[in-house]
Amino acid sequence: MDRPNAASTNGIVLERVRKEFPGGIVAVRDISLEVHPSELLVLVGPSGCGKTTTLRMIAGLEAVTAGEIRIAGRLVTNLPPRHRNVAMIFQNYALYAHMNVRANMGFGLKMAGMPKREIRARVDQAAGILGLTDLLDRKPRQLSGGQRQRVAMGRAIVREPTAFLMDEPLSNLDAKLRLEMRAEIATIHRRIGAPTLYVTHDQTEAMTMGDRVAILRDGALEQIGTPLELYEQPANVFVAEFIGSPGMNLLPAKLDIDTFDDAWYARLGDSRLLIPPKARAALRPFAGHSVVLGLRPEDFMPSEHLRDSQSRIIQATVTRTESLGSESLAYLSINGIANSQPLLARLDRRTTIQKDTPILIGVDIDRLYFFDPTNGTTLK
Amino acid sequence: MTRFRAARFVRTVAIAAIILWSLAPIALGVVTSVSTQADVRAIPLHWLPDHVTMDPYRGLLGGTADIRAGGTVSETGAFAQAMWNSASITLISTLAILCVAISAGYAFARLRFPGRNVLFWVVVATAIIPVFTLVIALFQLLAEAGLIDRKLGLVLVFVSTSTPLAMWLVHNHVKELPTEPEEAALLDGCTRWQAFWHVVLPQMRSSIAALSAILVLSVWGEFLIPLLLTSTSASKPVAVLIPEYVGKYTTNYPLLAAAGVLALLPPAVVALVLNRHIRGMLSGSS
Repeated sequence: MDRPNAASTNGIVLERVRKEFPGGIVAVRDISLEVHPSELLVLVGPSGCGKTTTLRMIAGLEAVTAGEIRIAGRLVTNLPPRHRNVAMIFQNYALYAHMNVRANMGFGLKMAGMPKREIRARVDQAAGILGLTDLLDRKPRQLSGGQRQRVAMGRAIVREPTAFLMDEPLSNLDAKLRLEMRAEIATIHRRIGAPTLYVTHDQTEAMTMGDRVAILRDGALEQIGTPLELYEQPANVFVAEFIGSPGMNLLPAKLDIDTFDDAWYARLGDSRLLIPPKARAALRPFAGHSVVLGLRPEDFMPSEHLRDSQSRIIQATVTRTESLGSESLAYLSINGIANSQPLLARLDRRTTIQKDTPILIGVDIDRLYFFDPTNGTTLK
Repeated sequence: MTRFRAARFVRTVAIAAIILWSLAPIALGVVTSVSTQADVRAIPLHWLPDHVTMDPYRGLLGGTADIRAGGTVSETGAFAQAMWNSASITLISTLAILCVAISAGYAFARLRFPGRNVLFWVVVATAIIPVFTLVIALFQLLAEAGLIDRKLGLVLVFVSTSTPLAMWLVHNHVKELPTEPEEAALLDGCTRWQAFWHVVLPQMRSSIAALSAILVLSVWGEFLIPLLLTSTSASKPVAVLIPEYVGKYTTNYPLLAAAGVLALLPPAVVALVLNRHIRGMLSGSS
């Protein structure tokens, strides 16, 4: 977890920020994190995890119960929104319906008392970047969803704020437009280079857009890191299941030790998987007991590709298949476990799988994850 | 198909009946107002006058001696004065109610302060107290303040009795408005007041127009309170003056009708001009 060194940075710094709502509901639990200058940090988590509340506290739209917020080295915890010099992009765009695009974009500058000519020049420039030049005289209701989103972006960038806050800015757009805007936001972010905190519930958006990703759950920070770190080294079962599409398979497995050939196995019903020696140290306290075994759906392969296949395959029955064109998803029921939860495997589209048939499926044993069954933390 | 047609027929007849019911008195008033007293009293009854005359209007606005001879009370300029009283009382009351109701309704809808809900419902609850139960107390209060027979007294009473309901309507409307544009304005450098002025008020244009129309119509038509609180033409509104044209022994019906028609015009114009907004508010789409 990252421990910010206050005031040393031009980014956004949260120090033990807490939010309690009347009635004792704790929305945010002592979160500390830092958005580095010119970084795009994605705050992701299931709905109700406190990510939007966190964003609103940084904007000044929600009072902080405890803790400190600094933006560009300046303590802003108790400042009203207008004195924080941050721009926020809202999920539903929040455009001023009665003003045309030009007035919407220039409103902040007008409130700041900037001369009209300068406002005009800045709005024209931003409109050029965002491809809004022909729409400047239109009212928001005459624009499509994507165009409104651009106007919201434009309104944010003309002010040249010290930080950007984005609250699920793409969730009202259709899938194709979302992809386009995703790329566009990333481009604009690189061009402007201001610290940006981006809130979403969509892990794909988080993984593709974030320089780093912070995962929030029940108001607490679960893990923060680059997308690859979160994918490769999840701190716990929550992160493991949340990151990845589909998420990691998590199954109870018993640790068997074969003293005869000094081999460790994770037993899953009728199958057993060899545990690589490097994983043993962390697992020693659980020898002979159960752990939670994690298997990414993409770490399966047809068994014929394996050498020494005995200890690297799972015997299962295919219960359902879904073809996505580029690949196939197989839902497997592991032999020897009654009512086992389905094991999800992503397979090459050329793999032939049929519903209700037994299958021997290979596992990349170097990519097994183990979690403490009591508290869900990673064992490594 | 036949059932469908029958239903349509019934509906058409019902609508026609309602229109007739509403418009007939107005039509009768207009016809009477351009008749002579003789035509009105003729037996058998004439639906249309034999002689169309503008004398009743001339008499009202000029207050001629002929009218006095007809046995009615119409001093020179009394009617015009009453129209002016009504207009100024209505205009000032409406503006004052709008100012108070909009700012209070907004504050109750958006700002968080201790006791907000209790205070809100206390204010709204006053709207359900019939004003008739308060008239004696009101009279005493205004008498002590020296506001009997003064337009200011009437304005104060209308503002205090109409504001709670208006505030409630505004409150409900603000609750339905999205909060994000205001928040965007706060981040764009606005104070709360500036956000209200630049972003919230423009969004409320339609409902403010509708509310204004409703207030104008209700204040213009107020009868009981001004009847009790006014005594001379200094403050008497037209709604109170018109019944005075009904004499004890004889009544100049054309004059009475002309007064009614003229008094009807200002609220009718307001209703027509703001009609679109009123319909919008009633259908909840403003």
